[in-house]
Amino acid sequence: MQSTEERVIMEVIDLKKHFDLTKGFIKKTHSKIKAVDGLNFQVYKGETLGIVGESGCGKSTTGQLMLGLLDATEGHIYFQNEDISAMSQEELRKARRDLQVIFQDPYSSLNPRMTVEQIIGEPLVVHGLASGKELKEQVRELMKLVGLREHQMKLYPHEFSGGQRQRIGIARALALKPKVIVCDEAVSALDVSIQAQILNLLKKLQKEMNLTYIFIAHGLPAVRHISDRIGVMYLGKMVELADRNELFEHPLHPYTYALLDSVPIPDPKLRKEHQLIKGEIPSPINPPSGCPFHPRCPFATEKCKIEVPEYREILPNHFVACHYPLLQEDTNVLPDSGISKVK
Amino acid sequence: MSNELLKVDDLKVRFKTDEGYVSTVNGVSFSVEQGETLAIVGESGSGKSVTSLALMGILPANGEIYEGAITFEDKDLRSLSKKEYRKMRGDDIAMIFQEPMTALNPVFTIGYQLRETLIVHNNMNKEQAHKKGIEMLETVGIPDSDRVMGRFPHQLSGGMRQRVMIAMALSCNPKLLIADEPTTALDVTIQAQILTLLRNLKKNSNTSIIIITHDLGVVAELADRVVVMYAGEVVEVAPIQELFDNPRHPYTRGLISSIPKIHDVVDELYSIEGTVPNPSNMPTGCKFHPRCPLADIECTKVHPELEYISEKHAKRCIKVKG
Ligand SMILES: Nc1ncnc2c1ncn2[C@@H]1O[C@H](COP(=O)(O)OP(=O)(O)OP(=O)(O)O)[C@@H](O)[C@H]1O
Ligand SMILES: Nc1ncnc2c1ncn2[C@@H]1O[C@H](COP(=O)(O)OP(=O)(O)OP(=O)(O)O)[C@@H](O)[C@H]1O
Ligand code: SF4
Ligand code: SF4
Ligand SMILES: [Mg+2]
Ligand SMILES: [Mg+2]
Repeated sequence: MQSTEERVIMEVIDLKKHFDLTKGFIKKTHSKIKAVDGLNFQVYKGETLGIVGESGCGKSTTGQLMLGLLDATEGHIYFQNEDISAMSQEELRKARRDLQVIFQDPYSSLNPRMTVEQIIGEPLVVHGLASGKELKEQVRELMKLVGLREHQMKLYPHEFSGGQRQRIGIARALALKPKVIVCDEAVSALDVSIQAQILNLLKKLQKEMNLTYIFIAHGLPAVRHISDRIGVMYLGKMVELADRNELFEHPLHPYTYALLDSVPIPDPKLRKEHQLIKGEIPSPINPPSGCPFHPRCPFATEKCKIEVPEYREILPNHFVACHYPLLQEDTNVLPDSGISKVK
Repeated sequence: MSNELLKVDDLKVRFKTDEGYVSTVNGVSFSVEQGETLAIVGESGSGKSVTSLALMGILPANGEIYEGAITFEDKDLRSLSKKEYRKMRGDDIAMIFQEPMTALNPVFTIGYQLRETLIVHNNMNKEQAHKKGIEMLETVGIPDSDRVMGRFPHQLSGGMRQRVMIAMALSCNPKLLIADEPTTALDVTIQAQILTLLRNLKKNSNTSIIIITHDLGVVAELADRVVVMYAGEVVEVAPIQELFDNPRHPYTRGLISSIPKIHDVVDELYSIEGTVPNPSNMPTGCKFHPRCPLADIECTKVHPELEYISEKHAKRCIKVKG
């Protein structure tokens, strides 16, 4: 077995991204959107790390930062032990070959005036890796890999269905043989039956090409299906991270619990009342004091309003940021986690 | 059936396009009973929204019903004048959309819009309407509702807007509520709030609901009965439990097996191969045949009828028996 260090392909340390927001013409007001506000986690080689959370919690921003497409306000992102945030343009350009992305909307992310052949081959051309006959051969290979047919090479994106366009996006992302792919809502816009095709394809490719995925989505069933570990974000912070089954079966953070409980289950026999959490996500411009979840949390105390709960490993490989995690009677918490079993 | 509220019979809708007429709803029939929640499911482009717009009498300018009947409480909706239809929409049938901004006017406050609806359709005066408006906002779970009355739509979050639209739709006590993907754009915790709201609505006021969605989870939570559409046709109709326990049409079966189950992780998902056909280039025979695992030569020639296999369960397939 590999040591932890060898397994880690990416690491995020105290990562922050604050957007400046200027409002008003006459009386200008300045404020900051804390889109990502202090993230710490590792990504293991060959795994799929799922990132879930509600709209605006900072998932896409995190993905963009990890790809080096956005500059961090604070903190570090290590890719194979090199700090992306400290790289020169040239170094970054090189690193980006290994870091690719697949977006939600295959419509808007594909150039409508390029043929499929050009779209898939573009990264190879840009990086000067292939041309002429060899380029064509590689594009053909890539198309085969994602289940597109050779005779479709000369077609334009609008001549494809949503699922097929997503395959084009995947082929393009694979062109440079990347190590890490950020899938940002990669299946969210697709029909259920097409979603299943793409999820199966992503899994197959991962095995064949030893890929690491950061799988960002708000659809929990798909995330559970594809991920090895899952992190839950809330207002720019990671509130919980664990192995997928552990997370689904023993969520420790009240928000995770509520999120999982809210998912409609496709089985009429399991119809139930949801334990509704009140209210909506507060604005990241003016996040609540203390624990960001406290205005909606049924377990919040005075302490939660004042003290920011520390994000820490309280069970082996199970991280959580909560003063009063939902521990079970017989749980063995780690000695240095700062949590005692008796609440 | 005596308590049938809405009956749609062999509805056909077509659009005028550059390439001539394209028929996208091809003979859809179903009914909704009093107090019943009927779900319509199907892939993108299968004609769910077009069907509901046709029911509401609000098809886009290039669309028209060219065959079929829509009966609401013994009234033939196709024979209504524009004015009568408009009154019907406020009084008896209401609709909520995926994107609430299509139903809310950005230049008026929430309060103004709610009051207007109530004044026009419920014959209230301004004061009564204001009070009732606040009450409606409370019913849909909006805190601080008298302050929200003074806000403009863009000052509210997506979930709040969705609830305002529901409040507006419900303010006239419609007999039928049509909800087209009412939660698709919302986060799951907000979705759970809205679904609970719809469920309570049915329990407390016996309103009939047509819910259109592609999320089988939402269907399982809310529906009494389900209509499955494929390529502009109804391919299966069944009571909710029956549909999940004993889906008959190969498309329905595929659909149910392709959902990732949150409590039962498998290595590979079942998936229906291929994609939905284009309405201007429909396959011959059974429209599902290019994707169907059971298809044979007969399926490419015969167009199956919707056939009832029991009192409440129908399927459109020539191969699957009983
Ligand atoms: N370029 C930007 N300028 C200003 N604010 C931004 C920018 N990009 C994102 N934000 C804000 O940062 C926050 C996080 O956005 P982000 O897109 O990362 O969320 P998300 O979790 O991906 O949400 P969704 O599920 O809706 O895609 C939001 O409040 C968003 O409005
Ligand atoms: N105004 C229009 N002009 C021409 N074609 C249209 C028009 N509106 C809808 N259509 C076509 O009618 C068909 C059915 O569309 P509809 O919106 O009912 O699908 P849907 O089942 O609601 O799909 P979704 O799940 O994506 O909402 C589609 O092929 C669509 O392209
Ligand atoms: S820290 Fe307090 S408010 Fe935050 S999730 Fe835990 S119990 Fe709830
Ligand atoms: S009629 Fe044939 S192609 Fe159509 S669903 Fe039945 S078996 Fe499949
Ligand atoms: Mg996003
Ligand atoms: Mg629709």
